[in-house]
Amino acid sequence: MPNLPKRKVGIVACSGEELPAGTVTRLAALKVLEELRPSETVTICLPLFLAGGEGDRAFAKFYPTIAVDGCEKRCAARATELYSNKPAASIVVDDILAQSNLPGPQGLRRLSPESRPVVEALADAIAAEVDHLMAVRWSRTEGAILETGPAPTAGVSTSACACGSGIPVTTVQVGGRAVQIMALEPILELAYNQGLRANGAPSTGSGQVLPGEILQTVQVYNPVPAGEEDLYAEALSRAWHAYCEQREGQTHG
Amino acid sequence: MSERVIIVPCSGIGKTYGTVTREAAYLVTEDLRTETTTIVPLSLLVLGDEEARAAVQDARVISMDGCKLACATLNVRQAGGTVAKDFTVLDVFRRNKALKPQGISELNDGGLALARALADEVAQTTDELMAEGVDHA
Repeated sequence: MPNLPKRKVGIVACSGEELPAGTVTRLAALKVLEELRPSETVTICLPLFLAGGEGDRAFAKFYPTIAVDGCEKRCAARATELYSNKPAASIVVDDILAQSNLPGPQGLRRLSPESRPVVEALADAIAAEVDHLMAVRWSRTEGAILETGPAPTAGVSTSACACGSGIPVTTVQVGGRAVQIMALEPILELAYNQGLRANGAPSTGSGQVLPGEILQTVQVYNPVPAGEEDLYAEALSRAWHAYCEQREGQTHG
Repeated sequence: MSERVIIVPCSGIGKTYGTVTREAAYLVTEDLRTETTTIVPLSLLVLGDEEARAAVQDARVISMDGCKLACATLNVRQAGGTVAKDFTVLDVFRRNKALKPQGISELNDGGLALARALADEVAQTTDELMAEGVDHA
């Protein structure tokens, strides 16, 4: 398997500027990211979902996310589901207020001192959800919890932030249309480092010159529609040849 | 056309410059130009909220971005709005290099001063846009 970034939990806060509860989500998310669970969490930038943040979208497709919203419009939860994958958990400030019997927060730019307990309670709730999600088994291919039980600990690497350093996405042409392939680059790198090489011209249909391991590994991380295996194999074959040429150019150049 | 200029800050949560845009947006709408500006949250635009989309489609919009990805500007345009003027924190920082921002939850003094510098520029642009609106009325 390719060396994908270490599993972390992504936190998507609504950060809404027009509500005190939006400021609460922002401060609580930052508290979790900076103080409570810095090693287990990354922030995912909500506006980047729409502005073309492929790294952020890809992260949320592979890894569990917690959407933290200031109101019932649930912008963070709904936008995450719309552009990437359903959040593993969704928390709304009102729910925390009800559970903790706290008054509604006051202040936009600066929360009132009386509102700090709301931030603390929300941060604690997020941290508890992070602990839960780190403890369960997570399916990268389905983007969902597999079952309850301890998480496997093998095969991890580090990644500081989902912004631009999450799972790489490569766009290839499949049957004349652009398709995003998750983790293609580390998959090709792994195959090359294992000694596989491109032989002959890129395949034009059956994928006979594409090492079978590559298509199989791609299918672990990407849905390949039934009946389109040959088209994907052809596209991957072109990418594989280009990758090998690039690597060999680096070696000889 | 809306009587107020719409301010859309980037909302970025992971970097200092995002916090600078947020602080500057509050400075403009709460202190400097309370009668002529209002904030539209970026999160609502991302979601496609009809009210937020309508607001930016029917107004002069000033976007404030924290990084080159320009989420605020892009999201306004994708919502069908026209950005009258886009500001980036980095440009303002280049004009005020003594103001070095630090912190995300809480900005340091340099960050607060940089936010003020950005807010002053946005306020001036707001005045110009409002004057244009009067001239064209």
